[in-house]
Amino acid sequence: MQMTMRNNLCSRREGAGRGDIVLGIFALFLLYLLYDSGFFTAAAWQDFNRRFYQNFVKDSRYMMLVDGLKSTIFMTTGATLIGLAVGLILSVIRVAYKGGADIPMLNKLANTYITVLRGTPAMVQLLIWNFTIFASARDLNTQYIAILAFGLNSGAYVAEIFRGGIESIDPGQMEAARSLGLSYGTSMRFVILPQALRNVVPMLFNEFIALLKETSVAGYIGIDDLTRAGQNIQALTLEHSQPLVMVAIIYLVIVLFLTHLVRKLEEWLSRGRRG
Amino acid sequence: MKKIFALLLAVALCSCAFADEAKLKTTEQLKTERLAAQRGTVGQYIAEDLLGDKKGSLLTTYEKYVDAIAALRQGKIRAVVMDEMPAKRFLNEVEGLAIMDESLSEENYAIGFRKGNTELVSAVNKALAEMKADGTLDAIFAKYLNGDYTAVKPEDIDFNKGAKGGKLYVGTEAGFAPYELKVGTGYIGIDVEMCAVIAKKLGRELVIENMNFDALPMAVSTNKVDMICAGITVTDERKENMDFSDNYVVGAKQVAVVRADDYEK
Repeated sequence: MQMTMRNNLCSRREGAGRGDIVLGIFALFLLYLLYDSGFFTAAAWQDFNRRFYQNFVKDSRYMMLVDGLKSTIFMTTGATLIGLAVGLILSVIRVAYKGGADIPMLNKLANTYITVLRGTPAMVQLLIWNFTIFASARDLNTQYIAILAFGLNSGAYVAEIFRGGIESIDPGQMEAARSLGLSYGTSMRFVILPQALRNVVPMLFNEFIALLKETSVAGYIGIDDLTRAGQNIQALTLEHSQPLVMVAIIYLVIVLFLTHLVRKLEEWLSRGRRG
Repeated sequence: MKKIFALLLAVALCSCAFADEAKLKTTEQLKTERLAAQRGTVGQYIAEDLLGDKKGSLLTTYEKYVDAIAALRQGKIRAVVMDEMPAKRFLNEVEGLAIMDESLSEENYAIGFRKGNTELVSAVNKALAEMKADGTLDAIFAKYLNGDYTAVKPEDIDFNKGAKGGKLYVGTEAGFAPYELKVGTGYIGIDVEMCAVIAKKLGRELVIENMNFDALPMAVSTNKVDMICAGITVTDERKENMDFSDNYVVGAKQVAVVRADDYEK
């Protein structure tokens, strides 16, 4: 640890590292390409503006993106809540079984669930939920099906995150709590889980960020999410690049914002932590 | 060493991209060219027939027409096989495209149903026959083929909201103007207006489900929607898996869209 820190300090004092130089050259190259393609000429700007107007401003087309974003956020939030609940239940079953609880069948069930849902692509699961399991549910808002599909899928990952968090706590903690006369449940609730939670919060957040991006396949079952909204604009204006790049920028801004939140949260959680 | 290698690779790639090729003249030439089509459309089947054994290496299928046209303009492929009407719209809106004079085939469009749903098929056929007889269908086509249909507002189409007979779910892929197109939060297009009239004649409310084209057969066979209407070509292969209404478009041309500077008439 000390070694790497010292190395970092050294390289910083030397100025730009090799990576910065490569990046710089790359950026210059991109600028040259843009210049070469006539991007900086007045005509190109006019064309860019005209297409921008066509894609987003005319007939309030940006509202299609706004509605898509609403749908994306709605699905992500719903799926997150389901994922948390399912993940918590699954991890409790698995940890309790390891801790000596007599629930072999439940444990087997939880294991199977996690294996199957983590072992198949979320998009395939989404298609199965919509076209096989809920085939006859036509008045049901498709978004709810997507929430269920993404939520149950996420639950399998969240379960592993929780389990990892609980197992990362030194077994000595449990032994100490038990030796003080606390029951297994009480030690879990008041000694192990609070510490585990602190470890898993960043990972949970990352899972939700992944989930946000995962919902971009919802267009397949007819949901006009953010990605699909971009495609709808494409179909309307027959313009390929601008709607997609705009969609990418919106995703990126949300992800950056969430990442920023995680960092703040991490700082807040590690307040008063020793060592 | 790595850098030199990267440089060589870049040079090689560039020279590939700018290599001169003879211009396209006839559709016969397409048999050995890189082609593209929208996934699940009849354009894909036509391209597959053209290419024969070479379809594995030469055919690319895209989820959306916009993607296929972008690939064409970037030189990734030499021609897109698609329906003539949407192709014409691309020619109007996107620079540097051309349609090859020779068309590849002529197709008929019909509405698709779950296999064995004869009751609905005959009800829709009756409605279609009435629309053909009293000129309603012609009027809808005229509205979209002659006028500037981007001015059509979704809210002007009567979806027969609150109809007593329940809902009529129709699956479509709203990226196929002038047949179906999403505008704001609603839909316009020939198919949409036609289905609206059919729904009215059946005493039901029209509900549009917008999904990817290759998901439509799945949606109708699992009863997710009552019928699918998206400029669907009647083929023998499709007839094995779904039932069709009477044709509402006869002789829709399938054409090859190419780059204008790559085409010699």
